[in-house]
Formats: sequence, structure tokens, C-alpha cells
Amino acid sequence: MICGLEIHVQLDTNSKLFCDCPTNYQEAAINHNICYVCFNQPGAKPYPPNHEAIDGAIKIALMLGCKITPELTYFQRKHYDYPDLPSGYQRTSIPIGFEGDLNGVRIREVHLEEDPGQYKPDLGIVDFNRSGIPLIEIVTEPDMTSPEEARKFLKELIRVLEYSGSARGEGTMRADVNISLEGGKRAEIKNVNSIKGAYKALKFEMVRQKNLIKRGIEVKQETRAFLESQMITVPMRLKEEADDYRYIPDPDLPPMLAEEEHVEYVREHMPEPSHIKTERFVKEYSIPEDHARVLTSEIDLANAFEEVAREVDPKFAALWMRDEVKRVVYYNKLKFKESEITPAQLVELFNMLLNKKITTKAGQRIMEKLPKNSKMPSTIAEEMGLLGVVEVDEVKRAVKQVLKENPEAVNDYYKGQKKALNYLVGQVMKLTRGKADPSHTNQLIRDELEVKD
Amino acid sequence: MKILEKSQLIKNQELSAKDNLESFCQIIKNVNPEINAFLEINKDQAMEKAQDIDSRIENGEKVGKLAGLVIGVKNNISVEDFLITAASRTLENYQGSYDATVVKRIKEEDGVIIGVTNLDEFAAGSSTETSYYGPTQNPAAPGLIPGGSSGGSAAAVAAGMCDLALGSDTGGSIRNPASHCGIMGFKPTYGAVSRQGLLDLAMSMDQIGPLASDVSGIALLLDVIGGLDPRECTTLDWQAPLYTPALQDPLDHLNGVRLGVLKESFDVTDGPIVKIIEDRLAELEGFGVELVELNFEYLDLCLPTCYLINYVEFFSATRKYDGRKYGHRIEEVCGEEVLRRIHMGSYISQKEYSGKYYKKALQARSLIKKEINRLLSGVDVLISPTVPKLPHKIGAELDTMEMYAYDTLTVVANLAGIPAASIPAGIVKGVPIGMQMQAKARDDLKILQLMSFIENNL
Repeated sequence: MICGLEIHVQLDTNSKLFCDCPTNYQEAAINHNICYVCFNQPGAKPYPPNHEAIDGAIKIALMLGCKITPELTYFQRKHYDYPDLPSGYQRTSIPIGFEGDLNGVRIREVHLEEDPGQYKPDLGIVDFNRSGIPLIEIVTEPDMTSPEEARKFLKELIRVLEYSGSARGEGTMRADVNISLEGGKRAEIKNVNSIKGAYKALKFEMVRQKNLIKRGIEVKQETRAFLESQMITVPMRLKEEADDYRYIPDPDLPPMLAEEEHVEYVREHMPEPSHIKTERFVKEYSIPEDHARVLTSEIDLANAFEEVAREVDPKFAALWMRDEVKRVVYYNKLKFKESEITPAQLVELFNMLLNKKITTKAGQRIMEKLPKNSKMPSTIAEEMGLLGVVEVDEVKRAVKQVLKENPEAVNDYYKGQKKALNYLVGQVMKLTRGKADPSHTNQLIRDELEVKD
Repeated sequence: MKILEKSQLIKNQELSAKDNLESFCQIIKNVNPEINAFLEINKDQAMEKAQDIDSRIENGEKVGKLAGLVIGVKNNISVEDFLITAASRTLENYQGSYDATVVKRIKEEDGVIIGVTNLDEFAAGSSTETSYYGPTQNPAAPGLIPGGSSGGSAAAVAAGMCDLALGSDTGGSIRNPASHCGIMGFKPTYGAVSRQGLLDLAMSMDQIGPLASDVSGIALLLDVIGGLDPRECTTLDWQAPLYTPALQDPLDHLNGVRLGVLKESFDVTDGPIVKIIEDRLAELEGFGVELVELNFEYLDLCLPTCYLINYVEFFSATRKYDGRKYGHRIEEVCGEEVLRRIHMGSYISQKEYSGKYYKKALQARSLIKKEINRLLSGVDVLISPTVPKLPHKIGAELDTMEMYAYDTLTVVANLAGIPAASIPAGIVKGVPIGMQMQAKARDDLKILQLMSFIENNL
């Protein structure tokens, strides 16, 4: 199969694309964030396009490796008749960026649009709060060959958008998915609102089209709708003339030019895109790609890693940050940024570990205390009595004591119950307050029990 | 009495804003039922404003440039709390929810808005007969059309129902009724006046402008409504001259002024009208102007080009009248001419035809623009008749092309985005005749200076 995507995501601006109305449409009461411009009352003309939105679009296009058009760009009117469209046309720009690439999937174009309102037939209302919010549309070439690839692409795309700081992420995503199989025509699936949805829609469509082809039935070129609740696609009824949008350049909006200097300014100030950062981490720090991918999942985590890697062995830091930092942050249901863990805290903790001032176990326990905690790891270690790796003799003494105090567990061990050993290790750890090395303790206990045998 | 003089009288407390308003209200009461220039008036609100102005003047407080002057607004320009119908049944229940930029500026300068004036439905016409609210009479030539589409505004000024009026001009809609009603009308350079709040006919050609019985009124209103509007993208960011002070010292001769005369404009115009324009030109020669005969080969191209663009842009602009928000779906309630334009616009903007019609029209437009600018490069002002023929009797049956022919000489300025005005030049069979003046973009002042000279000397 081959698959191409058209992805719409809202840009994260304070005001709408052509007026001053706020963009918090989900929080506002129905039809509260509207004015004569975004409601398009008779006589209303668009204000000059929101610069924040235009720069956001340029930035995202650049992050996707696009060229920025050196020609004039302008908004077109795309006419169609629907209750959510207050003017009967949607303003959509000609491509701002083109010929980009994201991990081998070619980006055909990036352009700006205005969001329509929201028609809620079940409530019998149209809410125009969303009308006029800037959207970016990203169109790929048909370069994906499986639902998995499409899913992988979308995940990476959402990461790039999150990195840009200019877009609103998967929650506002709306995608059109184009899919065709060898021997069949192309189907366009609309109403896809999540990465999972895109994956499921493609899976379903692949099976459907395969079955048709197998049975010798022609796969028509058609537009289908994805029903999220059932994870299936169904044919969409479209009026024949709805196909012709009668595009005209919007006479109310003069053409604009993205000045080369300005584009360069945006380029210099844009964050390094996640997929390029991942590649660089692999090369620069000699760490495995899966480590790099986890570290770049959040821009703040990636930045923290780079700071830490200046002070500590990058491979060691990568391993700990991939496993332990992610574990603790995830457990607390936080993003790394929200955890408020600082690179300085991590550097100190990793140095304590590398200098054998604490055990791995102690390191993990300190890590668990770090989220939303401004104390340094050395202080935490001291307070919890975790400082220092215990001497072997001390562990041996503890082993002997534990074996003496737990005859039942010892008996169970001899009966071949492996769990008993874990229990005994746990007791030693408890006695040494976690400072003993678990695998070493395990060995010591076994040695002791074998001797007795 | 000139408008500027009246404005001084009000500021000097020799005439109260209240009395000025009262006398207009009396005239409106007497003649509007017959003339049908105003669709709606709001005397109470106007009176409140007039009294406020009077009391501020009495207290020695500062008042605006238009203090106490009474103004009518074409009903395709948004004024809060008036019904803004564009003379169409489509919007019969639509109440304006905001002030257009020009209205805001008039209110800020203490103009007294008395009411809203009649027009051809959505300004798509040249006779003011296609209004849902009935035709407007020509006060200067009873029984005949006042021209259009700003026929209500022109008739209101001509019948003495207000000091000044606002019109809009997409292919001649200010200049044409000014010509037929014997007053002055001015279409500024495209972008010199904000369109924010003007109901669209053809966005790339629409322009708001003043109608008045003298040049000082035109200049005063232009000074107030013009200038950059940061909230309307097509307005010009330029140092527009203030016209009223610029006209303070009138020229006493026209030595060195070059007036271009478009030969083709005379070829398409009725003889008696040509004669009047030629007489005026001969007089001007006596004051030192140099007449330059010019050929404008693309005149035939202008009308079809203008209408193709008009159809497509109007089609787009009317998509919002889908019946969901304003009660009626436009196609179901509009008149014949509006429906024709929507259907034509829908037809020629189809993907398969746009190369054939719309794109061609845009190409023709840039050709026309280039040529008219070339002609203008050698002269200060271009002179022609405003309208090539006399107005018809109200209700007479004209075919579409006969109707469109009224615009033959006025559409050029809209296609090229240049300023153009009409000034009374004489009378044929009791009907006023206007002379048109066009200049380079942003040379609005040159036209006003010439108008002022003619007003003072001819």
C-alpha cells in the first residue's frame, strides 16, 4: 500500500488569524469569543494576518526541512456551503513552505488556514468560538507503505510540532488519510482525529481494499469517513458540485512576502527539530538510537541531557535518564519540565553513583525524591541515611543475622522455593538500609546456604 | 452657503447644530415620501448628538471637524443600530451591530448621522430602481432615475435633505448619480478610505466616498473618512494631504496645468453632452490650461472586464447570505440583477472556466491599468463626460447592456484604482450633466484643486 497524509493542527496563538478574539475556544461559553470579523457579519473585512501565526507557520515549515517560497504568498477563498462557515468560504494560503522531509517522508507543502466554527447537530447549534483560529496544514507525498509507518510518521510530526512551541499538538489534530493498494484507486479518509485513529483507519481500509481486489471488485476513487467509535470507514456522500471550491485570491488581503532576512531570523531562533536532534545525539554522544529517541521525546529532557552530558559520561547519563528519570517522571504523571528536576541535581546524583558514594538502589530511591524537590541529592541521601556503600563485612554480618532470624524462609529455600531467596535478600537490604548491593547480597546468601548444606 | 462656511457658523454659535438638524428634518418630512432618498432616519439620536455639540460649543469645549453637519449614509455601510439592508430583502431584518470605520470617524468628528439612504440592491446597478424599498426620484429631474447605485445619497443632497452624504463606488456608483442629480461626487484612490464595514460588491474595486453640493463639503468629509485603517488591509499607508487647508488659497489661473481629453470617451457619448463638456474645456483653456487629446484604445475592454471581476467577487461575497444567519437565502429573495451576477459569478469561477474568463479579466485589468497610467503620466487630470447618456424614466424597460452602458466611462477608475470625481458641467433638456476628472493614484488633491477652480470661476 501507499499512503499520504494531510494534517491540520491549530497554531498556538493568543488571538485569531484575522481578528483580536482570544483563542481559548474550549473554555469560553458558546459564541463568546466572536466579533463581527470572525463571525463575518455583512461588511466585515479581515484585520491584517496575525504575525505570530505566520511566523509559526514559517518556523514549522523550516523545522520540517521545507524551502520557504521566495515569491509572494496570498490567501485564497475556498468556497463551500456548511453551517460552520460564517462567510461561505475558508481562507487558506498558498504554500508557505514546500519540498520538506521528515525521516524520509517527503513534505509536499505547508500552508496556513483559518479554522471554521463547530457545528453541533445534536445540540442544534453552531459555536463560532473556533472560527478564525489559525491552522497549519501539512501535506505529505504518498511515501508511507504501512499503517505502522504512518503512525511512526505522525508521532514524529507531533513531536516536531511540540518542539516548535507554536502548535497545539495531537489534541487539535485533524487528518485526511489517502491510501491506495496496488491494483486499486485511491481512497481519501476524512474525520481522523488522532494518531491511533489514523492507524486504525489505515488498517481497516487495507483489509477492505484487499478483500475487494481479491474478489475482483474495482476499488473506486472515493471519499470515506472514519467512524472513531467503531474504528471503521464508511463512504461519504458528497454533492457533486461540492468538489469545485471556486478558488479566488482574497481581494481583502494583499499578497505578502516572507523576506529572506526574516526567514533567516526565524531559522536561527527555531529549536532543533526532534528527529534531527535524535540523529545528532546518536553521533555526538555515541549512544544507542532508542536511548536518543527517549531523551528527545521532550525538548526539556533533551536539553537537560545535553547539560548533564557536559559533566558526566554521556552514556551513563543517557542510560540513567532513559530508565530512571523517565520512570520517576512517568510514575508521577508529569512531563519532565513539570517535574522541575534540574541538570545540577542529576549531575550530582550521577557523580555520587560513579564515585561509588551510593549504591544503585540508593540512587533509585534518591531519584524518586527528586520531582518537585529543590534539595540536592547529597542532602536527600544524608537525610535518608543512604550515603556510603556498606562494607562487605557489614553485609556478611547482616546475612548471618537474617538467616538466623528466618529459619522458615531458609527451609523454604532448601525445598526449592526461589521466592524465599528474594525475601531473604530483601531482609538484608532492609537491615543495611538499602546500601547493600542486591546482586552481591544474593550471591552472599547463596554462598552461606550452600556452605551449610 | 458653502458647507465649510456653515461649519464655521455652527462653531461660532451663529447657527445651532439643533436648528440645522431641525430644518433638514422638516425638509425630509416634506419631500422624502415623494423622493424616497432616506430608507430610515433616527431623529432622536441625531437630536441628542446635535444638542450635545451645541452645549459643548457653548462651554467653549473643542468640537470635531464636522460639528453639527447633517450626514446621510448609504445603506450598504454599517451603522450601529440602523437596519443595514443594502436595499435587499435578503437583509430586511439585519440590524447593524458595529460602525464602519468611516462612520466611526464621522461620529468622532461630531458629524450628525440623520439616516440611511436608498441604493440599488447590494449597489449592483446604475439607477436605484432595483431597491427592495422602491426607486428613488431624481430631485433635479422629476420622473427620471437619479442614477446609482448611490441614488439615495445623491438625491438626499440634491433635495437639501442633508449637508453631506456617503456613497460607495464600484464602477461609477458615486459619480453617476452625482452627475444625474447635479451635485458633486468623489471616488478616492483605492485604499485611501477604509472599506471596513462596507458591504461588498466587488472588493477589489469598491471604494467609499463623499457626495456634496460643493467642493468644501467633499474636502471636509474626505479629510475625516480618509487615511490608514490598521484594521483594513487594503488601506494605503501614506501621508495623505489634508484637503480643506490645501484648498484655502484658491488658484487664480491654471497656467501649466495639462488636461488630457480622451477622444474615445466623446465617441461613445451623446452629442449634446459632448457639447457641454467641450464648452467647459474651452473655458478652461481661457484660464491657461493646456488640452492634450489622448487615445485610449482599451475603452471597449473596460466594461466587460469590470463586470467579469464584479460577478466573481460578488458571488464570493454573497456566500454568507446562506439563509442560516440572516433569515433569507439570497438566491431565493433577491432581484433579477443580483441573481444574474451571482449566477454569472458562480458559472465563470468554476475551475474549468476560470482560465477562460476570470484570469483573462484579471489580465485585461492589468493591461488597462498600465495603459491609463501611461496616459496619465503626461497630464495632470483626464477629462471626460461622467455618463455618456441621459437618465431614463423611472420604470422604463432597459436591457442589461443598455443599463450597463451608463458605466462605460466610470469603470476605468475602479479597474485602475485611481481617483475620479464628477462635477456639474451644464444641463441638457433640463437634466444635469456631470464632467468627470481622473488623476493618478494618490493625486486626489489635483482633482479637488481643479474642482475648486471650476466652482469658483466657471
